[in-house]
Amino acid sequence: MSGFQDLLQFVFAGITSGAIYALIALGFCVVHNTIGIVNFAQVDFVSLGGMFLFSGLFWSGLPMVVALPCAVAAVTLVGIVVERLGVRPSRSQNHLVLIFLTIGISIILRGGMKLIWGKNRMAVPPLAGEEPLRIAGAAILPQAVAILVITTLAIGLLVFFFRGTRLGLCMRAVASNQTAAAVVGIPVGRVKAASFALAGGLGGLAGVLVTPITTLSYDVGVLLGLKGFAAAILGGFGSFPGAVLGGLLLGLLESLSAGYWSSAYKDVSAFVVLLLVLFVRPKGLLGK
Amino acid sequence: MRRMNGLAVMAVVLMMGFSGGSAAAKDTIKIGAFFDLSGPAAFIGTPTKLVADMVVDKINKEGGVNGTPIELIVGDTEGDPAKAVNIAKKFIYKDKVAAIIGPTRTGTGMAVKKIIHGGRVPAFMTVGGDPVIMGGEKLGPFDWVFKSPQRSSVAVKRLYMYLKDKGLTKIALLTASDGFGKDGVRWLTTLAPEFGIEVIAQEAFGPTDTDMTAQLTNAKNAGPQALVVWTIGPAGSIVSKNKAQLGIDLPLFQCHGLPDPKYIELAGKASEGDRMPATKLMVADALPDSDPQKPVIKEFIRLYTDVYGYDKQFPINTHSGYAWDAIMIVADAMKKAGVKADDLRSAIEQTKGYVGVSGVYNLTPEDHNGLDVDSMVIVQVRDGKFVMAD
Repeated sequence: MSGFQDLLQFVFAGITSGAIYALIALGFCVVHNTIGIVNFAQVDFVSLGGMFLFSGLFWSGLPMVVALPCAVAAVTLVGIVVERLGVRPSRSQNHLVLIFLTIGISIILRGGMKLIWGKNRMAVPPLAGEEPLRIAGAAILPQAVAILVITTLAIGLLVFFFRGTRLGLCMRAVASNQTAAAVVGIPVGRVKAASFALAGGLGGLAGVLVTPITTLSYDVGVLLGLKGFAAAILGGFGSFPGAVLGGLLLGLLESLSAGYWSSAYKDVSAFVVLLLVLFVRPKGLLGK
Repeated sequence: MRRMNGLAVMAVVLMMGFSGGSAAAKDTIKIGAFFDLSGPAAFIGTPTKLVADMVVDKINKEGGVNGTPIELIVGDTEGDPAKAVNIAKKFIYKDKVAAIIGPTRTGTGMAVKKIIHGGRVPAFMTVGGDPVIMGGEKLGPFDWVFKSPQRSSVAVKRLYMYLKDKGLTKIALLTASDGFGKDGVRWLTTLAPEFGIEVIAQEAFGPTDTDMTAQLTNAKNAGPQALVVWTIGPAGSIVSKNKAQLGIDLPLFQCHGLPDPKYIELAGKASEGDRMPATKLMVADALPDSDPQKPVIKEFIRLYTDVYGYDKQFPINTHSGYAWDAIMIVADAMKKAGVKADDLRSAIEQTKGYVGVSGVYNLTPEDHNGLDVDSMVIVQVRDGKFVMAD
């Protein structure tokens, strides 16, 4: 019985980390699907989400229900500003140029956060209470469950958005061929701005959900970004269900190898599996 | 007109060059100071730099080093060993500093150890790990390197003394997989038999991991009497939170890097009761008046909080005093022996009985730290504050 309880606890630990990886992976995928690049500023949108939530709660004294949507909206706005002032003036369609631009923007954003919020770590209260849920003797934080539920919901909405709405279809068209999209009358500039707004919103959402577990600092997104990126690749870069599958798989691999093999080598085992998967399926598990 | 200005500047520069070749060098004593002002340990490096500014101000106001003021040249290692090496080279060969303070972390400290040895400039580091002041084939000579924070081995000994005293002899270790954590594991395992302590489980976690319940589950299943965690930064708070989340009813001990009001803030209620070795700075009010460190610590706290107001952004933690002690010892040695590298080095090495914020330093050629177990106390979180543990 205790063996089963341990297994359950390892699975819960994996789900907690995995849900965080999945949500960050999702942010990478959205930008990839709309603009066709890897947006390295995505990780800073995550930190910003946490920062705005922190400011809303403790500087302005807003209640959680108000501060949370405000924080997400604020990061959405930052996403639009980044596109207007950072990406658009380059007038470039070259992916390499755009990717490097996002790296530069990421450094600027991080510098700005360092100036405004300082370098110290901060604690953000969770959305769903501190008391852990106990199932068959194993414990999981309600926040981890909330992350999973919201991530799943977000994926449903995203799939609908990209398949069923005009703006979503426009985004896919722009991603696949910008010139052709412009020729058929799609306002490419506005669609791109909307893409960054969406990326900012998702990053912000990830930030407000994840930072209560990870603690908040100006570079928290970067530290989580590496694992999130790996999760996105494992699941198949660009695929939404792939992001969740990749994130959860990576989290579970880590916690199960920490539980049953060696906690010192848990990252090794996780990344070896990642490599093996990519040898067999270079596009990732659900990649197209 | 512009051309004239240019000429004038050049003339001034030339004049200065001719008249003051030696005088200019005597104007100030340059000390290079480099810390993690950005990167993952910025929350340690930045306050260290602030304290360095503060103590240099204090020394200069009190007449500098025999009348010559100290000039601090600051660099940011960004937590990157390669950057640290570049800055160390700049300090030594371009700025021609008399001494170096920093860096912040064991990894960057090890990266510059060789450069400092080759450049023959005394360096007083503020790093946690011991390898920077350990010799031998693998670690290289440490003649020019000193460090002000207690050795990990001293912190481990202090902790084990306490554990032995409390009869907690079976322990499980949870340590970070970075340089600092590995240094901790080495001492925790090698010193355990000396204190009759048995390490019955060893688990590791990444310093940026977000969930340690798997490691805690395994550690608990081994049936220890206490958990000992060795890491700096938020990971320590996450372990404490996860322990409460799993309802593990075992005493938790952290390392000497964590006594910091931030720890309590990040871990919240879960941190209640956690114990850890700390410098006396953390419990200044509880010190007896007979403690020689008390006036120094009081003065430090007065300057830090009342005069400079640093505590608003960085509340005083166990790291706060290390830059003060490093610079004070170097300045004292300069007063005695001047700034010639060899003389300065041996004067630092012969420092005896310096009463600092973090302890009473007695350096020897073998011990380039000079602090012993009596410089540390065990503190405990009670009602959201650090108090002396019973």
